[in-house]
Parts: sequence; structure tokens; C-alpha cells
Amino acid sequence: MRKGAQIVLDCMRAEGVELAFGYPGGAIMPLYDALLESGIRHVLTRHEQGAVFAAEGYARATGKVGVAIATSGPGATNLVTGIADAKMDSVPLVCITGQVRSPLIGTDAFQETDVFGMTLSLTKWSRLVRSVEELPQVIAEGFHWARSGRPGPVMIDIPVDVLKASMEFNGPVKFTPPRPTEHVGPESTFAATLIALLQQAQKPVALVGAGVKLSGAVEELQQVLDRLQIPAFATVHGLGAVRQNSPYYLGMVGMHGTRAANMALDETDLLLVFGARLDDRVTGEPTRFAPLAKIVHFEIDPAQLDRVRPCELPVIGNLGETIPAFYQAVRHAHLPDFSAWRRVACGGERAEPASAGLAHPTRSFLDELFARMPQNGTGTVLADVGQHQMWAAQRYRASSPRGFITSGGLGAMGFALPAAIGVQLAKPDTVVLSVSGDGGFQMNIQELATVHRLGLPIKMVIIDNKYLGMVRQWQELFFDRNYAETDMSDNPDFVEIAKAYKISASLLREEEFIDPDRAGEVAEKLDRFFSSREPELLVFECHPEANVYPMVPAGAALSEMVFEEE
Amino acid sequence: MHIFHIRYRNTQGTLMRILSAAARRGIDLPYVQAEPAEQAHQVTLLMGVNAKQVGQLCRDWRAIVDVMDVRPGVPIKELWDHAHLGMPLPPESVIAAESSRAATA
Repeated sequence: MRKGAQIVLDCMRAEGVELAFGYPGGAIMPLYDALLESGIRHVLTRHEQGAVFAAEGYARATGKVGVAIATSGPGATNLVTGIADAKMDSVPLVCITGQVRSPLIGTDAFQETDVFGMTLSLTKWSRLVRSVEELPQVIAEGFHWARSGRPGPVMIDIPVDVLKASMEFNGPVKFTPPRPTEHVGPESTFAATLIALLQQAQKPVALVGAGVKLSGAVEELQQVLDRLQIPAFATVHGLGAVRQNSPYYLGMVGMHGTRAANMALDETDLLLVFGARLDDRVTGEPTRFAPLAKIVHFEIDPAQLDRVRPCELPVIGNLGETIPAFYQAVRHAHLPDFSAWRRVACGGERAEPASAGLAHPTRSFLDELFARMPQNGTGTVLADVGQHQMWAAQRYRASSPRGFITSGGLGAMGFALPAAIGVQLAKPDTVVLSVSGDGGFQMNIQELATVHRLGLPIKMVIIDNKYLGMVRQWQELFFDRNYAETDMSDNPDFVEIAKAYKISASLLREEEFIDPDRAGEVAEKLDRFFSSREPELLVFECHPEANVYPMVPAGAALSEMVFEEE
Repeated sequence: MHIFHIRYRNTQGTLMRILSAAARRGIDLPYVQAEPAEQAHQVTLLMGVNAKQVGQLCRDWRAIVDVMDVRPGVPIKELWDHAHLGMPLPPESVIAAESSRAATA
């Protein structure tokens, strides 16, 4: 006989779970009671949101399913932001929550919430378990849906009496979908149609999203792009999927994308989209997105098609299959010479105007940091949400497909620090650099305790402008500089806070950084920051009114991006 | 008005996920009928949507794990009448009295 809690953990082990993140409480206590003997390592965070973001970091770094555990009521509700984040960014995640005793469900019992109902629109699949006998099937099915097709979050809510109940257990089961997972493959003629479209095109471009990484098609995509030699650019989640030094690569596209990428997108007559859902941060004003282009959309999830407008050629299926199929068809096909278009799109005259504006020192500081990151694929940069996120996305050249991680879809402040914990645990030999703003860092600042407890050598940077910078930027540009409730000039002393958590910390002021007489001293400080195998915090105090440029104002077309001089 | 017939396995929350796809877009559902259908269940939905929303909804529904089939169509006259001329709402005072009783129960 085994108890429900033991069965849950046995089944998780069978699914390959080695590490889980969580926070105990009343209704989940039986699971924690059985945890020690389960063989699963558990990391106690200091808040359930820290646990779910750490699980996401682990999943984003490895492609494996991340696991977060919490109790009922507030424990479960504290997971919700992470679940929404995983849904938006297609992260495989399983959340296990305790629930009040079955007879008490629906009675507004102590620490009862309908987390199943609350997360219906956020989860890919979920279950409220009703009996111990259901557990093996539910756990197997949950992990299957989390990692299959377009990955996503799964919620399994288990009443405490089910965790305590016992049954004869014959071992974990294997889940077989009731209908064989429908192979929604592309039309067999798609490659011929696509080649015909390419033969008619004069200004084709490629837009690369996260789907290329999730489906493991990075190498194959590179082959396609090397063959086509057309201008290519990436969404924030596609960064790292295209070789950085490719002569046709134009960097990030969208609201804070490069001028060259946005101009190419505005002019193209054939847009090849690889695994991107084309959200509003990428498209600008949707009715004016790529106005001249026919769209070919490689996508695993049919629900993502035609968001902006109908595409000419949907290529539905796993990009790990469709991109190689396309490559095989195109490698010997006769294609027009796109070199004239490529020279225009990738030419130096389309680079951003040189800027010595207020953000210049911060961007230079990030350049100095990133220059110290390993270039052999063993470095991961995490960005929180806000101005620093966009500066980092613009400037970091990831040397591996999973080398840049951020909350791109949901834009959840407080993501980076706990997610960095998950990344560092997943990849102990990786240099993990977490970049946050002063606002976001304080949203999960308590996870410094987790970093210290585990002795994780995470390099944490706060870009401290003493404002909620991105909101302030919008207030400056679109609300007549009415800086309503974005002032954070009374920030705490982050260095002292880190020291209270027994983490080494230091401060670097912008004026110190730009002082040519102190260049050597600054370089030494940055070298030291990276050289230790201990956690370190570096606070960079920058100009409070530095802005992120280029920028496409809300409601504008990509071609209407503005620059610092304007 | 468009009508949609959606076949689904009647697992926990599947019907709610189907309805949420409409609710999250602020679409009114004047007619909803869910019933067993052969080995599965079927829900019939009537709603006023534009062509783009039809495409979005169908794709959202098909992405739900336990949805088996989605068929859009044009509503028959009886259904239309039912949706628009169905049971009249009770007078407001009755609603208020009932909710007041419920609140103090």
C-alpha cells in the first residue's frame, strides 16, 4: 500500500522529475512529509511566485518540465502569475497544489480557493483530483500535455485527504492520448508553393520566434537561412536562434527592435514567419503590419495563425519536421538572386543613428557586462521586465539558443531573480547573469535568501534609475511628463539589503563608470564581479530619465519608430 | 449570428474552457445547449461574431485538449427565434427581491 502523496512523487520520478520548487503549507503537508524519501530534490523558495518562476527558469533553460508545488488558498493563488507567464511563453510547467479536504470543497473552508476554476483560461490542461485511484493517470496525463505539442502549464489540484489516502499501487502508468495526437501536418505541397512564392518575391525576409528553439530546429533553420540569404530578424524570444554574425541577421524586431529589422519588415513582399505568434509588440499597429507582404507561417499551434491577417500559406506542424522538409525542397531549387535587396536591407545606412543620449552610459555598461560573458554557449542572461530588458535584448549576443531568457509575453516584473535560480540549478557550470530594474528586483527580493542558502553563483545586476523606468518613459512621451506614481527615489540601499542576506554587493555610479580616469578601476570591479564563484550583486545607478530607443509608439506602424534625437 | 457545434470529451473544465474562449472576447452567448452525443458530448453555441472572430474561436477551441470537433454554421430559424424571443426576464423588482432573500439566507 502506498499513500497518495507517495504515489504522486513516484509518478513524478517516472516522468523524469529530479528537481521541484515549492513552499509548504497545511493542505500540501502530506506531500512534503513524503518528499525526503522520494529522491526528488526540493528547493524551498521564500514565496510561491519565486517557486513558479524558478521552475520556469529551469524549464526554459533545459526544455524539461518545470515543477512548482504550493499549498491551497494563498499558496495556489501566488502561483497564478507564473502559470500565466508559462502559458504566454509556451513553457512546460506542472503545478501541484494542495486543496482542502474533499468534503470541505465549496464550503469556503480555511485556505480554500477554486484554483482549478481560476486557472482554466491560463492552463493547457488541469485536474482537481477526486480519489487516490486517479493519481497515476492524472500525473502521467498532466506531464504529457505540459510537454507535448506547444508546451504549456498544467495545474493538478489534490485535496489533502487524497494525499493521505492509501491504495495498492502497481507503479506509474503511461498515458496514451484517447485520440492519437492528431498529426496536423502541413499540406504535402507546401514546399513547392513556398518556393513558387519565393520565385515571385523581390524582398523576402524571415522572422524567427521561440518556436524554432522549442522544436529543436535551430540548426535546420540556420541551413534554410544560409541557403536563402535573405534578411532575417528575431522576436525577443527568438534571440539566439540565428547565428549572430550571419551577414543577413538584423537583430531584434518590433517595438524596440532595430531600425534595419523594422524597415525590412515594412518593405518586404514575402514574410516567412518561423514559430512566432506575431503579438502586438512585434507587429506595431496590426492593420499596418508588413503592408506589402504575403505571409507564410510555420507554426505548431493552429490557434496562432491569422492573428494579424490571413496568411497566404500556413505550414502547420512541428517546426522540427517542417523546416527540414522545406530545406530539402529548397536546397537545390532555383531561386532569384536576392543580394541586391539584402545589401539594401542590411546596409550600414540603416543602422541606428549614433547616439550619445542619456541611455548611452547604461548601454555601454551592459556591453561591458556582456563582453565578460562566455561566448561558448555556457552563459545565460536573464532580463526582468522594463527598460533594462529591452536594452539587454538589443545588446546581448546570445551564444546559444537558450542563452537569453525573459518574461516576454506576460511581461511579469520580478521574474528574473527567481528564474535565475532555476537556470543555475539546471546548469551549475553556466555563468548566469540576472539583470533587473529597481522596481522588478523588489518584487521578488526575498529570493536573495534562496540564492544564499544554495550558494548559487548568480551574478545579479540592478539597473537602478529610481523610477519605474518604462512607465516613466511612456509618461514622458505620451502623458506630458506626468510622472504619476513611478518615482522610486526612496529606494532602499540594495547593497545593504544584499549584505543582510549575506550576499556580497557593490555599487557603481554612472559618473564613476564614464569617468575616463577611473576606467581601470571600473574594469577591475567588473572583472572581480564575474570572477568569483559566489553570488554577487552589482547595483548600477543610472540617469533617471534615460529612455529606450528606437521605439515604435503604441498604435504606430513599425516604419514610424522614433529615435533619441527626435 | 453564427452557430457552432463543438464535440468534446466531457472531462473536468472542458465545457468551461469552450465558453471562456467566447467570454474572454466579451462575446455574448444568447443560446447555449450542452448534451450527450454518441460517445462524447456536444455543445451548441449561438453568437454574433465577425469572420475574423469565427476563425479565432475555431482555432482556440480546436487547441483545447479534449475538444474533438468544431463545426461552424448558420443557425436555423427556430434557434434564432429561441435566442431572441426566449423566455422574458422577470420584472426587476422580482429579481431584487430574490437576490435580497438569497443574501440574507
